[in-house]
Amino acid sequence: MNLTVTHIAAGVALAHARMKTLEQELNVADSRLGDGDTGGMLRRVLDLMAEQRMDGIDDVGVSLGILAKAAAAATGSSLGTLLATGLLTMSKRTKGRTEIPWSELAPLLEQARDAVMARGGAKLGDKTVVDALDAVSSALAGAGDQAGVRARAVAACDEALVRFRNEPCRMGRARMYADKSIGMDDPGMLAFARLTESVCRRGT
Amino acid sequence: MKKLINDPAHYVDEMLDGLCAAHPSLTRDGPAGRVIRRTEGARAGKVGIVTGGGSGHLPLFTGYVGPGLVDACSIGNVFEGPTVDSCMAAIKAADGGRGVLRLYGNYGGDRMNFDMAGEFLEDDGLELSTVLGTDDIASAAPEERSKRRGVAGIVYAYKIAGARADEGASLAEVTAAAAKAVERTRTIGCALAPCQIPGAAEPSFRIAPSEMEMGIGIHGEPGIWRDTLKPADAVADEMVDRLLAERPEGSGHRVSVLVNSLGATPLEELFILYRRIAERLDKAGLAVVQPLVGPFVTSMEMAGVSLSLCFLDDKMERLLAAPASCPFWRVG
Repeated sequence: MNLTVTHIAAGVALAHARMKTLEQELNVADSRLGDGDTGGMLRRVLDLMAEQRMDGIDDVGVSLGILAKAAAAATGSSLGTLLATGLLTMSKRTKGRTEIPWSELAPLLEQARDAVMARGGAKLGDKTVVDALDAVSSALAGAGDQAGVRARAVAACDEALVRFRNEPCRMGRARMYADKSIGMDDPGMLAFARLTESVCRRGT
Repeated sequence: MKKLINDPAHYVDEMLDGLCAAHPSLTRDGPAGRVIRRTEGARAGKVGIVTGGGSGHLPLFTGYVGPGLVDACSIGNVFEGPTVDSCMAAIKAADGGRGVLRLYGNYGGDRMNFDMAGEFLEDDGLELSTVLGTDDIASAAPEERSKRRGVAGIVYAYKIAGARADEGASLAEVTAAAAKAVERTRTIGCALAPCQIPGAAEPSFRIAPSEMEMGIGIHGEPGIWRDTLKPADAVADEMVDRLLAERPEGSGHRVSVLVNSLGATPLEELFILYRRIAERLDKAGLAVVQPLVGPFVTSMEMAGVSLSLCFLDDKMERLLAAPASCPFWRVG
């Protein structure tokens, strides 16, 4: 079975449920390198995304576009705006299609990564959410089924967190804590990894 | 940290309701009510000026909406950029038919959302320009000035660009006036105690009761040094020295001074600092014009101050003295 709107809606519901426990974990992580509100901000974003009704919608691009607009309406924070940018990019690439083969997820995520980099200005290696997105899109290359996608995505996020933990942050507010950030997870990368894990481990 | 609020989730909206109830010259508008505009609307034939940013800094940003200053403002959650929809609505609210200047601080979320809003609106034929506030000298080295954050000095850009727009100048001329005000303004801050975002797990930073931090940003971004709290005169001296070391090339001998409270520091302490700052500037051969002392750009309950110097020429001085009025600042 290919990726459909049903998978997307179920994924949003799982991510939304995960925020109940993740909110404070992310706030604490962000308070070490930023102003301590990443969890609260993402909770508001996922609250609004989870409110979006997908009943009667079978176009993958339309559903992703609805989620992008919800994210953009919920926050103007950098991370939230980048999430909206990535979703909007994938929405445009999938409009008019009701099913997306799992093998197409990797190129879609690559396009989302490139759009996020263009909007936010981060480069690969800056220790941002872009590096997590890049790790997942690279790991999914060649994955042709849902089980493979889930397993590779979770492993890629874990590896990215470990790989970048001992690097300094080079972007955004956290770049000002470059030395202090060594040994810590970037809050945006951590959020991406935890939410990916919640969607993939429990299955959609 | 104690806060006199109802619910962190309603902090911004209840604040905006109260602001507009107290000041009928301001009206809430736009998606989710996250635009503050002049109640009388944009003035036809005048270049519009729009600003925006996160909440938590009153009087910045919404408090500077008024004649001779800013026409509309998009406002985000505490320390978060405004949404792209509210940026678009604020730009439209400021549009009097001669183009709109986007004038805001150099922060990632603000930049992304104003840029996206501009991309949507320029397709509709609206003429836009952008100037970013980059006055915080502690946030990047002089050779990377474009990376610096915008802090309290942006009020000079509001005032000077707002006056130029009121004179009937074109979008290019208003933009140039704003850019010159930014180019001629330097700010440095220091903090004694942190603030905390409503609902956040921790304060924006931690500092011992006996310490201060020089160069800290308005969201608690790290500064230049942290050490034992020093006497006011020593703090004033260091701030003046650091700003004068970055005096803009070609600047004259007239300067406006802004001694700003970050929230919790009282006027008494600001005036103790101002006394010394004025002495030091006089000794440096600088004449102070239109000094500003008070809370102009805050970070909720953060204790500390910032010092801004705006190095004036004749034209800037005239624009700074032109009439303007908003809930927190009146000139003329």
